Amino acid sequence: MLRDSLQVLRQVCGSFAGACGCLIVLLVLVAALFAPFVATHDPDALDVMNRFAAPSAANWLGTDHLGRDLYSRLVHGASVAMGVALSSIALALVAGTALGILAAWLPASGERLVLILFDVISSFPSLVLALAFVAVFGPSTLMVVVIVAITLTPHFGRVARAQVLALRSAPFLEAERILGAGFGRIVLHHILPNILGPLIVLASMDIPVVITIEAGLSFLGLGVRPPLASWGVLIQDGYQFLSDSWIPVVVSSLALAVATLGFTLFGEALRDAVDPRIRQER
Amino acid sequence: MAEPLVSIRGLTLEAATRRGVARILSGVDLDIGRGRILGIVGESGSGKSSLANCLLRLLPTNVTRIAGQVDFAGADLLALGEPAMAEMRGTRIAMIFQDPMTALNPLFTIGTHLVDVIRRRQPGLPGAQALEKAEAMLRHVAIPDPRARLAAYPHELSGGMRQRVMIAMALLAGPELLLADEPTTALDATVEAQIVALLEALRSEVAGSIVFISHHLGLVAQLCDDLCVMYGGTVVETGPVTKVLARPHHPYTRALLACEIEADDEGRLVSIPGEVPDPVFPPPGCVFAPRCPHAEAICHAEVPPLRAAGAGRTAACHLFERLP
Amino acid sequence: MMRGETARYLASRLVTSLLIVLGAMLLLFALSALVPGDPAATLLGPQASPEFARQFIREMGLDRPLHERLWIFLANVLTGNLGVDVLSGRPVAGMVLSVIPYTFILTFAAIGLAVLLGVPLGVFAATHRGSIADHVLAFISVAFIAVPSFVVAILLLLVFSIWLDWLPVLGGGEPGDWADQAKRLILPTVALSLGWIGFIARLVRSSMLEVMAEPHIRTLRAYGISERLVTYKYALKNACIPTIALLGLGIGRLLGGAVLVEIVFARPGLGRLIYDALSVRNFPVVQGAVLVVVVLFVVVNLLVDLSYSAIDPRMRQAQRYARDGGAG
Repeated sequence: MLRDSLQVLRQVCGSFAGACGCLIVLLVLVAALFAPFVATHDPDALDVMNRFAAPSAANWLGTDHLGRDLYSRLVHGASVAMGVALSSIALALVAGTALGILAAWLPASGERLVLILFDVISSFPSLVLALAFVAVFGPSTLMVVVIVAITLTPHFGRVARAQVLALRSAPFLEAERILGAGFGRIVLHHILPNILGPLIVLASMDIPVVITIEAGLSFLGLGVRPPLASWGVLIQDGYQFLSDSWIPVVVSSLALAVATLGFTLFGEALRDAVDPRIRQER
Repeated sequence: MAEPLVSIRGLTLEAATRRGVARILSGVDLDIGRGRILGIVGESGSGKSSLANCLLRLLPTNVTRIAGQVDFAGADLLALGEPAMAEMRGTRIAMIFQDPMTALNPLFTIGTHLVDVIRRRQPGLPGAQALEKAEAMLRHVAIPDPRARLAAYPHELSGGMRQRVMIAMALLAGPELLLADEPTTALDATVEAQIVALLEALRSEVAGSIVFISHHLGLVAQLCDDLCVMYGGTVVETGPVTKVLARPHHPYTRALLACEIEADDEGRLVSIPGEVPDPVFPPPGCVFAPRCPHAEAICHAEVPPLRAAGAGRTAACHLFERLP
Repeated sequence: MMRGETARYLASRLVTSLLIVLGAMLLLFALSALVPGDPAATLLGPQASPEFARQFIREMGLDRPLHERLWIFLANVLTGNLGVDVLSGRPVAGMVLSVIPYTFILTFAAIGLAVLLGVPLGVFAATHRGSIADHVLAFISVAFIAVPSFVVAILLLLVFSIWLDWLPVLGGGEPGDWADQAKRLILPTVALSLGWIGFIARLVRSSMLEVMAEPHIRTLRAYGISERLVTYKYALKNACIPTIALLGLGIGRLLGGAVLVEIVFARPGLGRLIYDALSVRNFPVVQGAVLVVVVLFVVVNLLVDLSYSAIDPRMRQAQRYARDGGAG
């Protein structure tokens, strides 16, 4: 298992794009996990005398409209982004896999119903729907997680269902069934371990999507609330004071852009490394 | 024999696969006589389709090496530049493909296909006239209601009708060399008989030569003048159809002939014992030696040359004179 | 047989579309019923006098039982009545109608630009497979796809409006002044379409490569049809089908992106309308506008489905493409 993972990782880093992605992902993860140690300042410490400071040795990326250290806020923003991304993807992964496996084992009419539900959710203008939710419940981080998880559920559900269908006729499952293994046992011992790979690839490809939605909602003031340092909040802060200084908005926008690009590159390289069909083509 | 239309010498084709370099064709020598129909038979993987593709120089992207000479009416097709080769296609050489299901673009009507082939020879021909010509050709290949068929999409026609459309395309090109790559394999037996009857009826109209590729010896016997038997990327026997079939020299031809009588429903050859040679690791001597009931030590050691074997015949076997 | 299948496919799409609209209506109604606390207080603010609040509740029908309210809501929506804006007293339907053209123009301009640039780039990459240009284009495509459109919007605004002062900054332009409106359309369109240029270029490239390897393309080449004709007349049409499917599936995301871009550029439009209503918690307007977005989305999806049959005589193929495209 570990050897396989290392092998995949080597393959991911084999291409230029994959290596770039890997590096960026690593940086973001380190920033997110060890934010208090990586940051140079308290992200919320005000220093009104030092507003809109240019990058310097004390403030590596300068300061914002309240004199807070931008670099430290960006580092803490990584924690927020990763927290939202991982928790919502975990939720979607669990819900989607459960629904997908259920769909594959349900009779045809039930399966159709689940599939229609997937179609409806995944083709829905989810950001617009999110606005309706926020209108009722008010903006919060939890809101973002729930909305994103709902939108992503069909992704995982479809893949899980397809994988189960492909597995269902596998001889070893046939044998288990004949031996009288229950549904739960088959799912736990045979289906889940077999479909985990594709689902993890899918999860990694969804991370940049989640980061984008979270940042977008927070930028609108409809997601993570200030003063919590989300990248979207940082961009909004910078955007409001664009006439005073362009540095905060450019720095935080670029940070977000680089992060999403890095995760996209990583996700695609991972897919290419894991998906044997594509590997064959290269 | 008079000067042949096509003279192939030492044609070798190699392609990259995941397992290594595969030898698709190795040193093929073959003549195609003017005005004659040459049947090429062999199991799948014997290289017969690749040979046809070499004549058109339409090769898959994984081909790594192509060597030898393909002399077509005085021009070496392998030495021609791409523009000159493109000039040949659809004017002097044309091809009918195996699966009429996929050989026509599903998003364009029969008429569009035919008009573009006509315009290939007559650029700038007004649309109405080109369509008229296409309609006449469809009628000629016995497609009912040809005017309506021009507006039909490929999926709206049956397999047999689609193959007739392909034949119409070939006739519109008016080639000196017509290549038919298993044109009836994808069709059922009744339709196959109709298409073969059509080809027989039309053979006088093709000014030049026809190469008819099949794995079905019976069809070839019915339609062709000459026969070329291929195995494992090499030519093992050639000669006039009647003579070869009356007394085949090469053990492989004999095995084929024996199988033909007990071929399965789809006409696939089922009963030659052993397996087709691996193109990545071909046997050192005669490619057929591992499956040959008569093989001797020399067969496993040396590649047999294609030798003259009587009037207009050749065979690549060390032992054919001594075989029973 | 084929026609029967096509009809059945379209019928099932129609049913799905109706389900989506019905689902959205139920959801929005449920949300309105869920508005926490006293709805009158939330909507009117704590300063409203008790008499006014009572009158408001009666007018909005908030004192009736839930199932009655649901019927009233559904009946109203079906007759085109999206309710009344609490704050201004204007009908929501009219407010939505007045801003729809802005959102329409923006999304269609963005799709147009994306197709206009994405398709040729994809064809170029496919016909120059493996070249340096192909690799560079592949990287640019990923970058375009990965970077959020509102970030692009902000950076474009900063560079072209503020630093270079080439294009006007904000708003939709003076009504009636076409040149001004067009100028103010440029940056939002670019911001919104950038990701789609990347998507389309990649998809066109891969489907071109797939199509170019198909037997029917070999047939054309075997007949000496010129490479130009083979590529641009025959193969491109085949390669366009997955692209149309992608646009159909992506229209929801495009509308979402339009909302953000409208807000960055302070452009009037559905997004702006929803956002402004949100900030004062004006739920009827949010509800009406969201419903209109959903209906728009469903209608566009149906149009995309119909356009398959215009391009592809075989609907089944189109269905397959649409399904496969859904995974990507």
